[in-house]
Amino acid sequence: MYIESDNTRACGDGVGTLPGCAPLAVPYVPFQQESAQKYGQADALANGTLFPGLNLPFHVKVSPGNLPRTACAELQALQFVLVELGLYLDTHKEDKEAFQLFQKYAAALEEGKKRYEAMYGPLTLCAAAKDAAYEWLDDPWPWEYKQEGAGK
Amino acid sequence: MFVYEKKLQYPVRIKNCNPKLATVILSQYGGSDGELAASLRYLSQRFSMPYPELKGLLTDIGTEELGHLEMVGAILHQLTRNLSEEQIKTAGFDTYFVDHTAGVYPAASAGWPFTAASLQVKGDVICDLTEDMAAEQKARVTYDNILRLSDDPDVNDVIRFLREREIVHFQRFGEALELAKAKMDQKNVYYLNPAFDRG
Repeated sequence: MYIESDNTRACGDGVGTLPGCAPLAVPYVPFQQESAQKYGQADALANGTLFPGLNLPFHVKVSPGNLPRTACAELQALQFVLVELGLYLDTHKEDKEAFQLFQKYAAALEEGKKRYEAMYGPLTLCAAAKDAAYEWLDDPWPWEYKQEGAGK
Repeated sequence: MFVYEKKLQYPVRIKNCNPKLATVILSQYGGSDGELAASLRYLSQRFSMPYPELKGLLTDIGTEELGHLEMVGAILHQLTRNLSEEQIKTAGFDTYFVDHTAGVYPAASAGWPFTAASLQVKGDVICDLTEDMAAEQKARVTYDNILRLSDDPDVNDVIRFLREREIVHFQRFGEALELAKAKMDQKNVYYLNPAFDRG
């Protein structure tokens, strides 16, 4: 699922040439162009990147990850887009469109965290203060996975 | 400062334990090209960086790598849960078991404990960013090789995700280097080191 087209870009992903007059003896990586195609949040998490143009899998495992349909995975997908857009903005701080998307996802993440914490308990020590009792210690912790009855 | 969030960056749900596979994946926990090395490298390099983009990117990628360290730790934990008497004798895992039982210890697959000798903080903008780009490539190849060695789909989903992150980080470090170069002497980027010299 794509949420933006790439018809405003000068050239497509994976094509184009370096400037012939680029400085010598130093690495050169082309900038990712603005308005790059983007996945929706679930596909972004499953592929490990928000950007189809950067999705360059190894031949042994090309298919995207098979995500569980859980509240936690939904939250992870929102958070992932925010992390990915944050790194993008670190090197593209003038990209207003990307910043607006960043703001949109930040708001969605905020809401998502509230809903998640109401059902499954606090995500941060600070959030543990909102509950009637101290639930911070409650199992499962993130590294634990039980096949049966794994609610999270 | 850092605040812990009680969730992983990406789901880790491994059904079958497999101690032999755990010994291979261990390198991404405490090996020279692993997530701990990546995280310490970036979070340490940032202190001497002169430009906001570099301070920010090293902080943000270094923080994400800490999340990856947690994910790799979760893989190792889940691959070594409820081991049978027979399974602890698995060739390759037995030597790990004798020292660490089913604990998650930062070491390379070959047994070397984690060491900062495998990473560098040079205090030079071009040098450190070039090291970071190389580090992402080394981690990417390690994940390639894990995918070659693993036939567990639950593990491979997570490894595919982590591997892809190396590619995205490489791209961002490359862009950061371009941003840095644009602020340096255009005729000779080696004329001085903006992380140290007041030019």
